[in-house]
Amino acid sequence: MSLAAPSAARGGALSPHQRAGLLLAWLLAMLLGGGVIARSQFSADLSAFLPASPDTRQRLLIEQLQSGVAARTLILGITGGDAPARAEASRRLGAALRKGGDFDQVNNGERVGWEADSQGQGGAGEWLVQHRYHLSPAVTPERFSVAGLRDAVDETLSLLGTPAGALVKPLLARDPTGETQRIVEALIPSGGPRSVDGIWVSRTEPRAVLLLQTRASGADLDSQAAMLQRVHQAFDQATARTPALTGLSLAISGPPVFAVASRTSIETEVKQLAIAGTLLMGTLLLLAFGSVPALLVAFLPVATGVVAGIVAVSLGFGTVHGITLGFGSTLIGEAVDYAIYYLIQARGEAGPTGTGFRQWQRASWPTVRLGLLTSVCGFAALVFSGFPGLAQLGVFSLAGLLAAALAARWVLPALMPDGAAGTGLRRPLGAATAWATARLPRLRGLFWALGAAALALLLWQRSALWTGDLASLSPVPRAAMALDAQLRADLSADDERTLVVVPGADLQATLRAAEAVGALLDPLIERGQLASYDSPTRFLPSQATQRARLASLPEPALLQARLGEALAGGPLPASRLGGFVAEVEAARRLPLIDRAALAGSPLSAAVDAMLLQRTPANGGGWLALLSLHPATGQQALGTEGLRGVLAGVPGAQVIDIKVELDSLYRRYLHEALWQSALGALAVVALLALALRSWRRLLAVCQPLALAVLITLAGLAAAGVNLGILHLVGLLLVVAVGSNYVLFFDQFTLQRSGALPGGASHDTLASLLLANLTTVGSFALIALSQIPALSAIGQVVAPGALLSLLLSAAFVGGRPDTAPAAGRV
Amino acid sequence: MKTRERRSGLAGLLAVAGLWLGLAGSAWALDLDELMGLLAQTRSGQARFTEQRLVKGLDAPLTSSGLLSFAAPDRFTRQTLLPRAESMSVEGNTVTLSRSGRSRSLSLDAVPEIEAIVEAIRGTLTGNASSLRQHFKPTVAGDAAQWTLELVPIEPRLAALLAQVRIAGKRAELRSVEMRMADGDRSLMAIEPLPAGTAAAAASASAATATATAR
Repeated sequence: MSLAAPSAARGGALSPHQRAGLLLAWLLAMLLGGGVIARSQFSADLSAFLPASPDTRQRLLIEQLQSGVAARTLILGITGGDAPARAEASRRLGAALRKGGDFDQVNNGERVGWEADSQGQGGAGEWLVQHRYHLSPAVTPERFSVAGLRDAVDETLSLLGTPAGALVKPLLARDPTGETQRIVEALIPSGGPRSVDGIWVSRTEPRAVLLLQTRASGADLDSQAAMLQRVHQAFDQATARTPALTGLSLAISGPPVFAVASRTSIETEVKQLAIAGTLLMGTLLLLAFGSVPALLVAFLPVATGVVAGIVAVSLGFGTVHGITLGFGSTLIGEAVDYAIYYLIQARGEAGPTGTGFRQWQRASWPTVRLGLLTSVCGFAALVFSGFPGLAQLGVFSLAGLLAAALAARWVLPALMPDGAAGTGLRRPLGAATAWATARLPRLRGLFWALGAAALALLLWQRSALWTGDLASLSPVPRAAMALDAQLRADLSADDERTLVVVPGADLQATLRAAEAVGALLDPLIERGQLASYDSPTRFLPSQATQRARLASLPEPALLQARLGEALAGGPLPASRLGGFVAEVEAARRLPLIDRAALAGSPLSAAVDAMLLQRTPANGGGWLALLSLHPATGQQALGTEGLRGVLAGVPGAQVIDIKVELDSLYRRYLHEALWQSALGALAVVALLALALRSWRRLLAVCQPLALAVLITLAGLAAAGVNLGILHLVGLLLVVAVGSNYVLFFDQFTLQRSGALPGGASHDTLASLLLANLTTVGSFALIALSQIPALSAIGQVVAPGALLSLLLSAAFVGGRPDTAPAAGRV
Repeated sequence: MKTRERRSGLAGLLAVAGLWLGLAGSAWALDLDELMGLLAQTRSGQARFTEQRLVKGLDAPLTSSGLLSFAAPDRFTRQTLLPRAESMSVEGNTVTLSRSGRSRSLSLDAVPEIEAIVEAIRGTLTGNASSLRQHFKPTVAGDAAQWTLELVPIEPRLAALLAQVRIAGKRAELRSVEMRMADGDRSLMAIEPLPAGTAAAAASASAATATATAR
């Protein structure tokens, strides 16, 4: 193959012009990509892993999860010291946080905000008493008849003479019919934390607990982060100056904490993974090549791939999620494979200098290309997933791998036409690999046995296998979730799972509809089928209801006469109730309550949390959200029963948040199973097309199938809760493992003479190295704190290693066949 | 003469001995643990009660009557039948209050004031000395045949409402409960234990009368 005049058109070395041209084109592309990246938006929002869903109910749900009341609730726990110290710290912290203005509600067991404050400004309690005839559900015309008055006064009197009487007596002359009691009854929570010394404490641990509601929306992570800082500062200040309080520590939990913490952890992890991945690859490559220029050139496809991936995601989705970047560190391990194949395999080719790359393009590129296409099939299955996060992962990897492979084929030859110069540890590596490859086929029996055992285990455990749930997709660490569960149990706060959503065209229509729902729910409470419910109409009844109530109040003279008749002969003479008559008259003249009237009291936050005005894009109108608290016990009514009860109210929906999310997750797991199966089938079909021989196809699929089985069984045996992302990982094992199998298949052909060349030690070394870089990068993300990433890493790292071993064992040719002697 | 003197001297001696023996029998004072042990022997029971409440500002005392029942270790029900049907039923840490057809359940330890009052009766009925000591300062007077237990609340918030509870009983039965509020109001409950089995009949009969009256 002596070529007198190197000519690019005939397959000779590249001319300097061509090389410069290629490099320039590459540089331009990178600059363009860099420009797009500079203008991209990066986010680390948890909601990328919530599925995008067309259903209105589920969209509402996700809206609530992101910015509803639940998203703004914080729970604090104070531990350490003794009970009086914790109580004092809770009081001081409560006082400091109430002054701060960050919170709509600060609850630690103290009854603050209901009484008039030190300036004599009426508290919420006084406002309630003043508006009791607007708010009490018992105000009806019958109530103010003679019999009704007698009954109401008797009921109030029945509380007197008991310790509760001390709370009722001050109002007796003003409110003998007990409207204030009726209003307060509905506000008493049925559960509630234990109260010692007036401070909420845990029933099971030595801990004081507080419940807060932040003012900032759950979606505004920066404000939430600043607010959390201030809480810690307030605690430190409250406990610093007193020696008795110095040993105490504060734990905070709640959705804002998770959101802020996961954003921070995703950002940190991404940086750590990128650095660790680069270092690991760099070390491996240095060991392999022993030369720094080779190392730098090897990173070129990596850089191209990463840039292409980010650009593709940014252009396709608008924002790039942090988890995608974290996953992108695995791209480093895969993209560098193409560089490894090229740099090592192009070196070994015989021929004039500067043409090594051509030989490589003829001999090995088809195999590499096929491997690339199978990987592409695998990742393409992710692109169609319903989860925006997974779709991003798919697009990122697709674009990255394509760009990396193309860079290895077109740009690397411009820089190193004959592959890498140095050899580093390649020779010993190659020899060792050759030795192993010769021995591995003897272990076929063992691998078959393992595969059979794996299959048996999987079939046996079939139903208990896929136990992951939505929590397994969230980046929140398990320890944080456990703390949250403990604190919620302390507060006896139920999960706030069940909501009734009532729509209305305007505010009054919505309030009327909410009242209709309340009227249907009240009998359930009487029968013990429901513990209680929260409704905005407790403090903001509809105007129609308020008017009706005020209309039932009789004129003073009439009321006085009826009172006289009702209370004749009773222990409470009507003559003492002059104040009552005057207040009823005053109430008839009071304006109706509207939202403005509530503003400034602790009640307005509660009402605002339960009333949503929808944007015109979402359909306009208003929504009332009634939170239901389930009863414990056999009569408790489930969601289906509730739906039946509320069937009469148009538009009212009962949503059980956990059930909805779980069913959503199961649906997507089901979809993911189908998509993974289709992706695997596409890979097999592609291989069938390329290999054109049933025997070869079977030989190639065997190690892959075994690798998948054994990996899955291994994880199941280790007790890992398998979820959607493990499934994604299995698909990736097939996609990535196919690269190695195809090379061994190529060796078989070369051995039989169908293809030129042979499996030199160098080629084997390149395979091993490529495998090590891939396994290493996935092993790195397996160590991640983010469950989504570690799930994929746990599956792909062992799976890829197994693929190599099994490929060598099954496709490596007949046992005891030595490969062609290594060439230098 | 001498025989008569001897006879009267003997009679006097016998009288003194009898007196001394009688006094000795009733002078066996009780402490709290003994009283609680005595009460704990009864695992369950029912009783009828009539309650009178004297409230300042009202012209006449308020009366009510109904049934009490308890079952060890932590169940207690007070069912008022006259003049209005009401009930307070406690099991473990949960109290269910019903009045006028409305009922609510609460956790006892979330509202310490209610918890203390419930424990005053339930703790005494089931013989739970530690619970009584936790909420009150107890003082026992009398002997096993007739005893009184005075309870003064420890928790300041409750002490601001309730000054003292005085429970009187004979052997293992409670006979009366008197509560004195901090503002001077008083409530006096007289308890008449029922043999087991009659309580159910009494309840349904009285409930029927009560509902008929209420309509």
